[in-house]
Amino acid sequence: MRDEIRQVSLSPLSRRGFLTTLGAAGAAAGFPAIARGQAREVKVGYILPVTGPLAFEAQLALNGIVLAVEEINAAGGIKALGGAKLALLPGDTQNKVELGKSEAQRLIDQGVVALIGPFSSLVAFSVRQDTEKARTPFLLLAAVADNLTEGGLRYTFRMQPNGKAMATLTVNNMFEIAKAANVPIKRVAMMHEDGNFGTTMGNHVEAFAKTVGYELVQRVPYSLRSPDFTSELAKIKAARPDLLVISGYYGDSKLIAETSAKLRIGVHALVGLANAAYSNPRFIGENRELTEHLFDGNYWHNPQSARAKAVFEAYQKRFSSPMANHGVQGYQVTFVLKDALERAASTDRDKVRDAIAKTNLTDHILTQDAIRFDDTGENVNASPALLQVQNGRPTVVGPARFAESKPVFPVPKWKG
Amino acid sequence: MNGGLLLQALVSGLLLGGVYGLVASGLTLIFGVLRIINFAHGAVMMLGMYASYWLWVGIGLDPYASVLLTAPAFFVLGVAIERLVIEPNRDAAEHNQLLLTLGLALFLENLALVLWQGDFRTLRVPYANASFVIGEALVEVSRLVAAGGAVAIAFALYGMLRYTDLGKAIRALSEEREGAMLVGIDVRRIRGVAFGIGSACVAAAGALITPFFYIAPDVGESFNIMAFVVVVLGGMGNFLGALVGGLIVGLAESLGAAFLPGSLKQLVVFVIFVLVLLFRPEGLFGRPRG
Repeated sequence: MRDEIRQVSLSPLSRRGFLTTLGAAGAAAGFPAIARGQAREVKVGYILPVTGPLAFEAQLALNGIVLAVEEINAAGGIKALGGAKLALLPGDTQNKVELGKSEAQRLIDQGVVALIGPFSSLVAFSVRQDTEKARTPFLLLAAVADNLTEGGLRYTFRMQPNGKAMATLTVNNMFEIAKAANVPIKRVAMMHEDGNFGTTMGNHVEAFAKTVGYELVQRVPYSLRSPDFTSELAKIKAARPDLLVISGYYGDSKLIAETSAKLRIGVHALVGLANAAYSNPRFIGENRELTEHLFDGNYWHNPQSARAKAVFEAYQKRFSSPMANHGVQGYQVTFVLKDALERAASTDRDKVRDAIAKTNLTDHILTQDAIRFDDTGENVNASPALLQVQNGRPTVVGPARFAESKPVFPVPKWKG
Repeated sequence: MNGGLLLQALVSGLLLGGVYGLVASGLTLIFGVLRIINFAHGAVMMLGMYASYWLWVGIGLDPYASVLLTAPAFFVLGVAIERLVIEPNRDAAEHNQLLLTLGLALFLENLALVLWQGDFRTLRVPYANASFVIGEALVEVSRLVAAGGAVAIAFALYGMLRYTDLGKAIRALSEEREGAMLVGIDVRRIRGVAFGIGSACVAAAGALITPFFYIAPDVGESFNIMAFVVVVLGGMGNFLGALVGGLIVGLAESLGAAFLPGSLKQLVVFVIFVLVLLFRPEGLFGRPRG
């Protein structure tokens, strides 16, 4: 692999010209067979904030990637590349834009076939320009901001639901549950962290109000490390919402749920929206009483899938902790790349890009139909699951065809 | 205006402000004596929180009781940091000292990350959910104890500064360095002691908030920033100013959260900060420096 790259870069032709020529000739002359003989290792880069404020969440995602890479390698690597093993090259963004860019560039220079990451939408927004210039496939992980796939990019792909899909499908799922329970939702309040992620979610919940027909009675953006939310929640309580929607990270979401309980916030349900805590098994395990019957619209695995069960067991064995949704994403996005590498039968980034664009992956563990990408690189079938903590376990309660259990709604404990 | 909401905001603001006050007291003490801006203050607080956390997990020691252990331990740690890190650079340019404490903060945070990972940890004490209602305002017992404890510690410290020889030496040094040296105060020792006391204060503040907060390697940052605002507000080096400033910032934050739209609550605090810098750069309680 390394030799192959060196040869290419030393050739008098441009790298792309060289490969195009060779590829065109090779298509008839069995070029894939040559590649098969040469590739021993396929470099895959990740850029994640494994240190800094998102270190905890990033590690969960990274564990999923590592699990997938180990599974792929143990099963004989990339078969179309002669059993080449995936080699994972690390990049730490510390959740900083400039570091994200420099780490991405470093990994691109080291010859990765694709980049996975970078968790935060803000970092993703800058890095995608570098991957575009370097013609390197960029598989977004966790980042949900809608604008990440805008601007006619060819190399950026997003498997997970974007902000709009996440917000609108989650609200829709909640409204269907409310309708079934015959408890109408008219007033909605929203708290979200004031970064790109939370603001995107807030904008969609606000914009979606007219479509579905509810009033957004309070919208409170907050700073992530705020030590107290009592005043904010007292203000929300005074607005008498039926539903409180919360988009936040771990510590802040914990404080918000705790304070809501103490204030007797008086809503039908607390609903996380892509929340980092409310469907996190660890958070639930540490806060059993508090978390029971919390809802969360989030990316999730398909509980009906036998493969998902096996993956979860493998994760528990490998990392001695339960797999969380970020881990599922890391795991699945790595398999999207693996699938593309098999079909590309090449480590050429353009060929890999084209293969990713033609993805039609049905053997996956997500709550959606086949993984397919549209022209902008969005997964057309991406869909969050609606979860509810039941008996200390995040349980899929919507959409109906993936549901494991009936929702408890309205939730008695939040009533004042 | 909603009366219940106003009462709630006042209560929450005062309770949070007490903790800000204690954090800022340590910071202002260090500034007064050493003339350095200690960016590592929040990181020391974080270490204090982990210390209380591990004492709870390890031997089941109540976080409030752990103050009795962590405060002396962090006094020693503070003295050691001053001796090993600050003292050798005492005559360095001011911006170098600034970078020094900033570097120390980064080091401590990343050390915590290596030792204990980025996990958010919470300390599940049995009384975590205890609360009562005054009027329409919710009062969380753990926050009340934290604020009360913080104010009590701050007052004890104030008494020490006011009435003991050590306290007088500290004050002398922070007010008139050369004069203090002339009357025979051991400047080197007092510098170490001041850093030690500042560290003990912030470790105590950390211990007091663990029952209702969470613990993570970067948890000190938000308190650190607030403490800087409080210190400037109260007058750099002014001890009582720090305590009152803490209460003002806490109130400004919670009233802003209750009555202003969106995330303007931080804005309120920083607008106050800028106004003070513009119109009373010596702080609300500071004496103008000639």
